[in-house]
Amino acid sequence: MSGLLDRLSVILRRDILTALRYRAASGTYVAGMLAELAAFYYLARAVGPGFRPDGVDYFPFLLLGTGLYGFFVAGVASFVNSIHEAQLTGTMEVLMTTSTPEPELVFLTAASAFFTRTLHLAFYLVVGVVVFRVELAHPNIAGALAVFVLSMAIAVAAGIAIAAVQVALQRGAGMVWLLGSLLWLLTGATFPVSALPSPLRQVGELIPITHSLDGLRLALLHDADWGTLARPLAVLAVYTLVLLPLSVWLFGRALRYARREGSLSYY
Amino acid sequence: MDTVTLESVSKFFRHRPALWNWLGAERRGVTRALSRISLRAAEGDVLVILGPNGSGKTTLLKLVSTMLLPDEGRVLVCDADTADDARRARRSVGFAVASERSFFPRLTARENLDFFAALEQVSREERPATIQQALEASLLAEVGDTLVMKFSSGMYQRLGIARALLKRPAVLLLDEPTRSLDPGGTWRLWQLLRRTSELGTTILLATHNFEEAATIGQHVVVLRHGEVAAERRVGHQTSIEDLRSFYFREIEPEGAEVPGEVG
Repeated sequence: MSGLLDRLSVILRRDILTALRYRAASGTYVAGMLAELAAFYYLARAVGPGFRPDGVDYFPFLLLGTGLYGFFVAGVASFVNSIHEAQLTGTMEVLMTTSTPEPELVFLTAASAFFTRTLHLAFYLVVGVVVFRVELAHPNIAGALAVFVLSMAIAVAAGIAIAAVQVALQRGAGMVWLLGSLLWLLTGATFPVSALPSPLRQVGELIPITHSLDGLRLALLHDADWGTLARPLAVLAVYTLVLLPLSVWLFGRALRYARREGSLSYY
Repeated sequence: MDTVTLESVSKFFRHRPALWNWLGAERRGVTRALSRISLRAAEGDVLVILGPNGSGKTTLLKLVSTMLLPDEGRVLVCDADTADDARRARRSVGFAVASERSFFPRLTARENLDFFAALEQVSREERPATIQQALEASLLAEVGDTLVMKFSSGMYQRLGIARALLKRPAVLLLDEPTRSLDPGGTWRLWQLLRRTSELGTTILLATHNFEEAATIGQHVVVLRHGEVAAERRVGHQTSIEDLRSFYFREIEPEGAEVPGEVG
């Protein structure tokens, strides 16, 4: 266990040091995030106070929706991008021949990518609450954290599955774009899913992030108790138990295919 | 005991053109990179692999490292089959890859080595000393805290060797290790490799450099079109010219002039 934590800590350290040493990047990120939140704030004002999706003001609805959407899609994108960079520079072959088992290595790398995005999400929400005055009356913070942890596990699984496509076919970026577009349309990130026609709503129900958004909004905006959160939590737990091992297995198959084809360092 | 064994190993690379191949003209079919190669290297052996570009030298090293899986035959590293028990095989192999940029550019040399040492399961307590030794052995101690994106080709190459030595491997794979090194660096690397093999590490070294092969090799294998064209033992009495003549006799068509033998 201590070895696992040691390896997680060196991967996190690599990612944080790399991010910090691109000196302009964090300033650019903060400016971009403030502009994005301001755009959503004025969009909500333009729509007017009469529009209350799921019974809440539109800006808090958007804040949570776009925050979690960004966490999910940008996290997957940054993880897949790290695999792509490893293919470009030649570190991929080296990493996949170290003494650390590949499933562990890919899981830790994905966990690190999503840990960084968690910090971004926390900052995004704090700015929304403090700067744009979103009111949270009696939020169920523990419930929100439980929803978030399961959502993160699902995001890691999605990242690993798309990384498998990147390793096998070198075109994970296209999958990220498709994933982002589908989530934008079907999960209720920016508008309530009740606006969708019934067949699309049913497809949206099959996407775990729909339940993540549902659970997070219930916990933070509707002050829901654990009983109310039971359904989204149960759905997310089932998805986690299925998707996480499945994605690691898929990555293992993709690696074996790449080793057989000699395409481990293709990009 | 043999540390590395290749038993009738073949490796093919399939060319899979795009669906719209009429727009370009990408080749189809299969390239046979290695064909029924059988080799053995014992503990402490230095096996030098010579051969022209495209003869299969790097492919052979990649098969031993588990970067590639064989299509036919078996590769055994310390008795572990690389296809069925890659994890055990990997624990015994250090590979200084030819790709010079296989590091994280915004980390220092020491941070890079710390990262890879952790993945090689070198304990947190042992890492600082192990990394310092590796930096000193590869003549990088003075630039250990420099971001590697500022390194020259030769420094990258030395860092690659330092990385391969971190876990004190039973098998060390080197792909043209002195390609970008200056004469002093080359000589010191040869000294290091000699000491490493004397401590029992098996070294497989792919090179085009006859002096390197004659200086540190104990056994030379010449590859040609993915097959073993010839092999021989080398020793202190083997001259560079002996080796050059041996190589060109095997590689060049009969009657061709041997480069280097002018007049």
